[in-house]
Amino acid sequence: MTMRQTFLLICFATLIPLALEPNGYYIRILTLALLFAALGQAWNIVGGLAGQMSLGHAAFFGLGAYTSTLLLIHFGISPWIGMLAGGVLGGIAAFLLSLPTMRLKGHYFALGTLAFAEVFRVIANTWSSLTGGPVGLSVPFSEPSLAMLQFNETRSYYYLMLAAFVAVSMIFVIIVQGRLGYRLRAVKEGPDAAEVIGVNTTRVKIHAAVISGSLTAMLGTLYAQLNFFFDPDTVFGALQISIRIALIVIVGGIGTLFGPLLGALLIIPLEEFANVMLADRAAGLSQLTYGALLMAIVLLQPQGLAEFAKKLAARISGKVMSSKTEART
Amino acid sequence: MTSLVQAIIDGLMVGGVYAVISIGLTLVFGVLGIVNFAQAEFLMLGMYIAYFAWAALGLDPLAGAFLAFGIVFALGYGLQRTIIQRVLKAPAVSQVFLTVGLLIVMENGALLAFGSQIRSVTTAYQTKSLQIGPFFVSLPYLAAFLMSIASGVSLWWVLNRSWLGMAIRATAIDPMAGRLIGINIDRVMAIAFGLGVGLTAFGGAVVLPYLSVFPTAGSQFVVLMFTVAVLGGLGSVAGAVVGGLAVGVITSVSALMFPIQLQNLVLFLVFIAILALRPDGLMGRA
Repeated sequence: MTMRQTFLLICFATLIPLALEPNGYYIRILTLALLFAALGQAWNIVGGLAGQMSLGHAAFFGLGAYTSTLLLIHFGISPWIGMLAGGVLGGIAAFLLSLPTMRLKGHYFALGTLAFAEVFRVIANTWSSLTGGPVGLSVPFSEPSLAMLQFNETRSYYYLMLAAFVAVSMIFVIIVQGRLGYRLRAVKEGPDAAEVIGVNTTRVKIHAAVISGSLTAMLGTLYAQLNFFFDPDTVFGALQISIRIALIVIVGGIGTLFGPLLGALLIIPLEEFANVMLADRAAGLSQLTYGALLMAIVLLQPQGLAEFAKKLAARISGKVMSSKTEART
Repeated sequence: MTSLVQAIIDGLMVGGVYAVISIGLTLVFGVLGIVNFAQAEFLMLGMYIAYFAWAALGLDPLAGAFLAFGIVFALGYGLQRTIIQRVLKAPAVSQVFLTVGLLIVMENGALLAFGSQIRSVTTAYQTKSLQIGPFFVSLPYLAAFLMSIASGVSLWWVLNRSWLGMAIRATAIDPMAGRLIGINIDRVMAIAFGLGVGLTAFGGAVVLPYLSVFPTAGSQFVVLMFTVAVLGGLGSVAGAVVGGLAVGVITSVSALMFPIQLQNLVLFLVFIAILALRPDGLMGRA
């Protein structure tokens, strides 16, 4: 996509809320989708560029949510500062996780990161005096203000998440076009070859992991502010967060700039509608449908939506091209 | 001291069961090359089959275990042929999502079919135990242990002494070469998957005398199975036996020192440490 198209897309995204009820159901779904698109973009730095299938990003996400919320509850510190603190902790956690997992490949890396996030979930469930345990935490609401990152209209959150998505995407683009991006791709394509030409593969992977972990933690704060309530399973859960983020990027198109957005716009509404339509039918039916969809996606479109969209676009532009040439002759 | 020895005895008893359910996981990985996140759901299925066999036919869960093995073997065979086979060459992450999808479907399918109530069986030997000096061996633990060891030995015999076993091992080493010497790879893989999930279901049935079954009963075994399999080296059957016994003892001894909620935490830390230090398992590649 060119700069101009991207600019138009952002303008379009800014205008959408004007057509929707400011506190309605649809804008809430879009807000959630934007948040997950941002999470997907942060994951993309590790999963897409470095080619490491992390299934442990919930660790950073939850860390961010808990850090800012605990600072707010106990010390009245603004979530903006809490978000920065969470970001720092997320970066440190990502660094610590890198040490044992850096050399792992494929399945082993996925399993190691998955276990890492589970450690956090168990701790959050057990250390009740700090985290409130399985009961969870409520974010205290004072008054709607930007300084406290609290609003009474979903529309404001929509813009917040849009800004977050654009910001994370810009970081992604900067990394892709910069030195780190080239090195990451070298590491992904051939770690041994990269090592030979002088890339410190371990360091490059750690850099990517720290940036990704830190961003994910900051987005955890935004989630806490949006939802006002969370418990260990919703922010540290493997299915709820880690696997969902990875799924969104893979469905949308791994390693691409617009993949996370495409994926989030498909998966999040799908989940929501499945929930609404099937939740009161029978316990488990909506989850069952979700699981079946997950399997269907893997079996039908393993390369992701972005690939599908690319093929479609190629076919359309191909037709336009051929009709142009026909017109000329 | 007495309590430590007692904990080690208990640990070895449950560890034998852990070994059998993890052999299933490691066999599937060794032969098909996929990590089956839904493996523990087959354990839950085995528990339900044994439960209903007990409730409807009055069959003891230890006998129901064979029924569970047979039914789940057939189910696994079919699943492999229709679904799993399609992702064998796909990237690791597609395989993860497929099996996670299967996990969600099975767990919620069980919830829809059987409801959320917790079910358990009553048997004559349930609360009995053997006394050896100052130590006790719980009878249901012992029965589950012996059944597990028997099924492990049977699997070992099949893998090492039968034509099918040789075909399975050949497929695990090099599917292409296996095909060239005339092995029907697709069928062998389906049998291996059936055997793997069947064994896990068998393990689920034999623990029913001392555990209850409910739709999410499998989830408590997920970490455990992966720790055992990775400890022994993913793909190594002998490793899973050693890993199972080790994990049984670790959990049982750590229960003496830490509160019950932190038991999983100890497992996770062992798991991550092993991945970091010995990614091929304690015994290396087997």
